[in-house]
Amino acid sequence: MKSLKRRKIADTAARWAIRFGGAVTVLVILALFVFIFLEVYPLLQGAMVTKEDAYSVHGTVMSVGVDDHQEVAYVMYNNGTVEFISLHDGVILKRYHVAIPNGSVITSADKDRNRLILGTSDGKIFTVSITFSESFEGDRRAVIPEVSEECWIPLDNQKGGIHCVTSRGDDSTTVTAVYTTDNHAVLIASEAEKTLVGNGEKKEIQKDITGLFIKQGLNQPSLPVFHLSQKEHTGGLAKGEPEVVQPADNPLGTLTEQRSKTEITSLALDLFMENLYAGTPSGELFHINIRDRENPFLVETVKVSESAVTALGFLLGDVSLVVGDASGGVHVWMQVRDELSSSGWALKKVHTLASHGAPVMGIDASQRDKGFVTAAADGTIHLNHATSEQTLLKFATDAQASTLSFSPRANGIMIADAKGRLLQWHITNPHPETTLKTLFGRVWYEGYEKPEFVWQSTGGTDDFEPKLSLTPLIFGTIKGTIYALIIAVPIGIFAALYTSQFLHNSLKIIKPVIEIMAALPSVILGFLAGLWLAPFMERIFPAIIIMPFFITLSIVVAIFCWKILPVFGKGWYRYGIEAIFLIPFIIGAVYISIRLGGGYEALFLEGDYREWLSHILGLPYDQRNALLVGIAMGFAVIPLIFTISEDAMSNVPNSLRSASLALGATPWQTAVRVVLPTASPGIFSAVMIGFGRAVGETMIVLMATGNTPIMDWNLFNGFRALSANIAVEIPEAPHGGTLYRVLFLASLLLFVTTFVVNTVAETVRQRMKLRYSKL
Amino acid sequence: MKNFLRSGNPYIWLTGGTLTACLLMISGLVVLIMINGFGIFWPRKIVQFTLQDGTVILGEVAKRESVPHQKDAYRTKVKVGNRDVYGMDFRWIDNAEIVSQTYPVHALTFERREWGNLYGFLHGLRLDGGVKPLETESMASLLGESHALYKKIRYIEKKEIGNINYRMEKIRLELKRLTLLQPSEKIQKRAAALNTKIEHLEKIYREKEDTLAGFYVKAREKEVVVLLADGREKMVPVFQIVRISMPNEMGVFAKMRFYISKFWEFIWGEPREANTEGGVFPAIFGTVMMVLIMSIAVVPLGVLTAVYLKEYAGDSFISRLVRISVSNLAGVPSIVFGVFGLGFFIYFFGGGIDKLFFSESLPAPTYGTGGILWAALTLSLLTVPVVVVATEEGLSSVPKALREASYALGATKIETLWKVVIPQATPGILTGTILAMARAAGEVAPLMITGVVKLAPSLPIDSHFPYIHLERKFMHLGFHIYDVGFQSPNVEAAIPMVYTTTLVLLFTVLTLNLTAIVVRNKLKKWYNTGAM
Repeated sequence: MKSLKRRKIADTAARWAIRFGGAVTVLVILALFVFIFLEVYPLLQGAMVTKEDAYSVHGTVMSVGVDDHQEVAYVMYNNGTVEFISLHDGVILKRYHVAIPNGSVITSADKDRNRLILGTSDGKIFTVSITFSESFEGDRRAVIPEVSEECWIPLDNQKGGIHCVTSRGDDSTTVTAVYTTDNHAVLIASEAEKTLVGNGEKKEIQKDITGLFIKQGLNQPSLPVFHLSQKEHTGGLAKGEPEVVQPADNPLGTLTEQRSKTEITSLALDLFMENLYAGTPSGELFHINIRDRENPFLVETVKVSESAVTALGFLLGDVSLVVGDASGGVHVWMQVRDELSSSGWALKKVHTLASHGAPVMGIDASQRDKGFVTAAADGTIHLNHATSEQTLLKFATDAQASTLSFSPRANGIMIADAKGRLLQWHITNPHPETTLKTLFGRVWYEGYEKPEFVWQSTGGTDDFEPKLSLTPLIFGTIKGTIYALIIAVPIGIFAALYTSQFLHNSLKIIKPVIEIMAALPSVILGFLAGLWLAPFMERIFPAIIIMPFFITLSIVVAIFCWKILPVFGKGWYRYGIEAIFLIPFIIGAVYISIRLGGGYEALFLEGDYREWLSHILGLPYDQRNALLVGIAMGFAVIPLIFTISEDAMSNVPNSLRSASLALGATPWQTAVRVVLPTASPGIFSAVMIGFGRAVGETMIVLMATGNTPIMDWNLFNGFRALSANIAVEIPEAPHGGTLYRVLFLASLLLFVTTFVVNTVAETVRQRMKLRYSKL
Repeated sequence: MKNFLRSGNPYIWLTGGTLTACLLMISGLVVLIMINGFGIFWPRKIVQFTLQDGTVILGEVAKRESVPHQKDAYRTKVKVGNRDVYGMDFRWIDNAEIVSQTYPVHALTFERREWGNLYGFLHGLRLDGGVKPLETESMASLLGESHALYKKIRYIEKKEIGNINYRMEKIRLELKRLTLLQPSEKIQKRAAALNTKIEHLEKIYREKEDTLAGFYVKAREKEVVVLLADGREKMVPVFQIVRISMPNEMGVFAKMRFYISKFWEFIWGEPREANTEGGVFPAIFGTVMMVLIMSIAVVPLGVLTAVYLKEYAGDSFISRLVRISVSNLAGVPSIVFGVFGLGFFIYFFGGGIDKLFFSESLPAPTYGTGGILWAALTLSLLTVPVVVVATEEGLSSVPKALREASYALGATKIETLWKVVIPQATPGILTGTILAMARAAGEVAPLMITGVVKLAPSLPIDSHFPYIHLERKFMHLGFHIYDVGFQSPNVEAAIPMVYTTTLVLLFTVLTLNLTAIVVRNKLKKWYNTGAM
């Protein structure tokens, strides 16, 4: 026999253990919420500077850059010297000299991946390629910088020093555009002719395109350059129409400005080597098509700023153009399809970023995403993301940056400033593409005509712009839920009403049968909906339209039969077996509608219901559509609504019903006017719980819809729901990445929705129980 | 009539109609699955169609339907098999084109390990370069030989080579772990010993491979020459043949025998051809094991909560909070549990375990990836409410008198609970457990992201220490349905298998539910009729 004391201790211990056990469920719910929330939270955080470093440089720096791991930086001085600096200790690892002529200096530079294009004060262009290769000695990584000089090109006839330069190239072709100090714009293209035997001869073209930039006064005759190109393009490229210099598009052009030449402040060439953009001091942007190197033509001139354009730069993918102006404004422009413009495309402003207080001096784009860095003359530096239109980081230095670089992995910013410093910031910027606006609002994505809600999380190319708007998915979830409830709510509630009020006692076994229906795995429902019902419904669709009519008719026929058959209406089967009696009639009705479906289609639906739907109603028909989901999900929700509302109705105190019947009300009147109102809180919570189930249902929507994220209420096409989207995409989403967290956000939405709905339903139900116990 | 309308009786009929609709829907679904699921293994006759243009088609009739938008026109879908010859399994023919339709007695169905069924006539056996005639009867012994060979090969591949690979992998990990430690003489010695072990194992491995290569040469020796419907000859290695049947000649008993053997293969066999043929044993095994692990986790949690709510809590704020939590756990979408399981169990918890105990195999995760344990734990959170509700019901059906008698004898609360109340409430707990199992067996969405795979290389239980591998990925019946029905490259040919798998899953879930209902009713009867 254990001592009393020990028994008492055991009792107390057990009490605490059980209390703790009881609290575990609360903890689980809390953990669910907190954990999911913690995974979502970083999405809305900005970027952070993790480390700052400063090194000193000696001279005027034209270009800087770092390797992938931010271990070695290069600095290009204006005298042609390249220094490689170790970012561990600031030691100069290597020095190289580009052979620029004595007495000249480098006046402008442009970066094209690892190629540096340098323009000199005496009008020469040098191309230098800088690569970093890695080698491993054991576990230690060593970064080896290498420089190679590719070529140098003199301008055909001396036109002064190079004011600005831009260049793009691939294996065979290089195109460079320069603007010289004596106001000449020159296009230089070098193409290696591909022959069967290796690379053949190089074809070089130098073309002065200054004429394209000449402003056309209203009263001035057209300039010869245009006549020339007009002749060459007649009947050819529609794009090449010379009226592209449209006074209408160019408000400044309407002023009869008598200047013959336009200054150019900045040049940008895209990687397709087709579109050349040039900014002017008056805030205009010239778009020149150089697809045909021999005959470049002006596509359009757009006023992009009230002040001078000071910097141009492409974002990753070279579709979006960042324009920085003298008043510090930073905007992203893009070619957008436009019916009004002659070429079918027009340059439009799609994003506006936080502006600097001073002229924007430099732009460098990320090689990872649509992010970019801008630096202004007052020493401020902004880290921006175009898609999400947010400026993630702002910092100020006390001197103007002469050149800046965004590290290859988008995790560092480096500038060389006017005070001879090389400054480096390490940054973490895990989720630049998400803001509340990109997650829920309309966003203007690359290649779209207008801002839209789009979900497209992954794409085929590296320069893909993730489109993470949850709105289409939320819409899909709501669409599926509503169609499911439209089917499930009436059937569930009426069946429950009948079962609780009118069904004969000996048939109460039907109740557990329907409860078992609730236990059917949704994967089975989804499979049958997707692979059996979908093709079946497609075949007998007209029959489905006429089915409700025939079923109602069959019930009328059944009532008639019941009346005239003497056997029924007597004995115990007087009432309460209607549901069983109806079975053959409804089966018959379904059969007849399927048989007559074809005839109905021929008579009323012009012989082909698909044609009819798209013709008359303008609705396309998909095999896996919302109606199908409604039916399949309705199937899953009916038993839930049925069970809970049946419970509520059969628990309505008998005294109420008896009173009503005693006052002479018919059973139906009692059911509708007494039982339904009394049980309404229970029915409400049944509908709420049904709603919660439909919102979170995954397998059915995954299998029975096409999973296309479109926003359209059409009953006959599919959708993509939040839940199915999570199931499809989360196995592929890298842990901790943006997509992973956005999917967590999707599940947080589902969790919060169902939590609210369930809590409300549960509270209402508890209240009702309390009321019943008082009655 | 007017009175009849006013009394509302027609509306009663209408509501009755909705109940009828529910009943018809559920019975229709069960019947549909039964017909399609049970009918699949019954041998179908091989039909030979001759078309107007002279083509001869041999195969099973899969479906006959009317041609849309044409009166009295029908078409037939024929399973022609021979995927490697024709490129597809099915072919539609217009009934109007059919000239004749016969059932050749000697037509054979060859079930193959690859490329699906082959329909044709036996022509001969090719051995050592010559073809000699072959009787169907003597095929049996040939098949027997090749099956024995197949078993041997599988044994070597799966068991012996698998074993060697497993051991080598262990040693490699051990070696990797040693390199992480401070180098010392002792460690070097140990590494040297391990290296000789690996060499030894590699030697055995090569020997086994040689044996295998020998077997494979033998396997290719004999080929059956099959005459196809269009007169072409097709060589089929005997080794490739799983089963040969002559459905047109079979009597009812032969068909039944065939049916049973197919069903047996389905339940106990391994899947073949990207899960579209063969059996589903690994999926059944995975489902059962996952459900068992889940119930080990869920029962204590659910019972504790129910005991707390029923016996300890009273009507406090906390108890209301617990109640709301329970009803919410029941209502939160299963995919959210899956996401939680992925983030919390797999990446957070599993990742932590890997860093602590399995650092030598990183970056390849051991527990930091989906596995049967994590799937089971995730589902146990999902099914807690089921256990809680049923246990509460069980607890409240224990008569008060019993408790009072126990207290009167001087027992403490926990003693009363442990010795009197809980034993009496066991049927309730059992009901809850069974219902939870049923729910878990049918749930797919959370499993898809916590460890289910379409084809698991090995079962979670095997002969390697520690025998039960909770970190392994597994197969699951529900996911099998989704995967084969929606992800497989040849959905049309796979649909029959999906129906049968559905039937197995439906049967499991319904049996569990019915058992729970029976147990619950027993419980009610027990207390209604009991002396207490």
